Amino acid sequence: MAEYFTARGLPVPPELRRTPLTDWRRWSLIGLTLAVLYVGVRLLDIDLSRANPDYAGTRILSLLQWDLSILTPQNEFETFWDTAGGLMIITIFLGVVATAISIVFALPLAFLGARNIMTGNAVATGIYGAVRVLFTVMRSIDVLIVVIIFSVIFGLGSAAGVFGLAFHNVGVLGKLYSEAIEGIDPGPPEAITATGATRFQVVWAAVLPQIVNPFVSFSIYRLDANVRLAPVLGFVGGGGIGQFLFQTINLFQYNKAGLIIFLIVITVALMDFASAQIRKRLV
Amino acid sequence: MPALLEIRDLVKVYPRGTRAIDGISLDIRRGEFVVLIGLSGSGKSTLLRCINRLVEPTSGKVIFDGTDVTLASSRDLRRIRRRIGMIFQQFNLVKRSSVFANVLAGRLGYRSPWRTIASKPSREDVALAFENLERVSILEKAYVRADALSGGQQQRVGIARALMQEPQLMLADEPVASLDPATSHSVLRYLEEINKTDGITVICSLHFLSLARRYATRVIALKAGRVAFDGKPLEIDEHRFKEIYGEDAVEVEIGVTRTAEEKRAADAAVVERLDPAADR
Repeated sequence: MAEYFTARGLPVPPELRRTPLTDWRRWSLIGLTLAVLYVGVRLLDIDLSRANPDYAGTRILSLLQWDLSILTPQNEFETFWDTAGGLMIITIFLGVVATAISIVFALPLAFLGARNIMTGNAVATGIYGAVRVLFTVMRSIDVLIVVIIFSVIFGLGSAAGVFGLAFHNVGVLGKLYSEAIEGIDPGPPEAITATGATRFQVVWAAVLPQIVNPFVSFSIYRLDANVRLAPVLGFVGGGGIGQFLFQTINLFQYNKAGLIIFLIVITVALMDFASAQIRKRLV
Repeated sequence: MPALLEIRDLVKVYPRGTRAIDGISLDIRRGEFVVLIGLSGSGKSTLLRCINRLVEPTSGKVIFDGTDVTLASSRDLRRIRRRIGMIFQQFNLVKRSSVFANVLAGRLGYRSPWRTIASKPSREDVALAFENLERVSILEKAYVRADALSGGQQQRVGIARALMQEPQLMLADEPVASLDPATSHSVLRYLEEINKTDGITVICSLHFLSLARRYATRVIALKAGRVAFDGKPLEIDEHRFKEIYGEDAVEVEIGVTRTAEEKRAADAAVVERLDPAADR
């Protein structure tokens, strides 16, 4: 077969020279993967001897035997907002408020971080680069780490959770928004520029109408993700129901922890359903 | 009267080194219907965009109605741009907005940025928008979303939007290249109408020589960024055609196929239109 190509002075296709089973590259790739996994397992020192099925069984059972007392105020100092239900609602709003704050900051920054808007001179290109680097930095620090840092600034509680979550999301939404702006049809802005409109008028009349849909869609997607994340933030000092859950686990109150986890699962499921419905109607 | 548009030694070199415009000098007089022809990549689009500086020329001058466009500050440039309408091959309408909103946007150059967001369009602008929609026979579609319209209708909206600028010059960048032959004629007839009735000078790039012969008062052919021909539509014979489009090119007709006799009659009609005094 190879003569067909050599006789005509053509390069022989690599498929003709190698058969899959004898290709050393394939075998070395498989060997390398196995070697990496072997080293990893050895380094991790995974020890199954400490597993205790009997103990785990009773604990998991107690996760399901809910202590309903956390659903009602227990003494004269507690109100509804100290109960598990109240804290869950507060936690949902933690995600909502954080999303709102991040939208307010990401929206204007996204235009400064869109290459097709920031054209024409060196200053504009410089701002574009700086904003994009800012987004990447904000996004690359994990939410939990941001909240820990913010809890040093604001102290333990909702402030650290809200601002930490918002900070991270400015980076995420900023990137999503500016990529949506960069993906628009350049025709309408060109046409409006040709009518003698200013750069601001071009954005207003020809860019905004094209990005409303992706912006709403991205915002709902982040709202969904943030409400999902909010319960965890309490573990690192971000307030909300997570703080309560963290306490009960540390105190081995698995009857309470189980109920809280159940509430979180219900909330996330409802949120999932709601955001899917909204996004479906939008598109 | 001096020419409406003077182009002097215009050169455009793109950052990657392509010389899209390689030294073009032209005078466009008021009331002309100029058709630009030439192969793809011959510089038609770049030339049109250098006139209103959607593309920044590398060197040379563009003088519009006595004002040097190439030296204009951004403020002056916007004032010049609003007197030059432009329509595009892809129509470039805001698809999600209504036809009416699209037409009204043609007026943005006359409004302050603050008024754009804070106030309703003025009574005069609304009246003008309806007037222009009626001119391109699309009034009944005013509140329809732009992307619900057919290609020919969208291009008419494009014309109405450009008319909102009350322009002296209309640039048309292959306005019928995405349209079928019948629709092409209807769109070009609207351009012809505004050229004759309002005296708006038109510079229009086209791919079909037959359309150029039918509508142009003057044809300018570009080849590799230079002017290869500049004259009356009927002066382009087979020899000239091959010069512009290359040896292998064959002319294709657009529109209804005609017999040789019908064609001669049509050409005679064009001659009459170009020079009404000729036969009298």
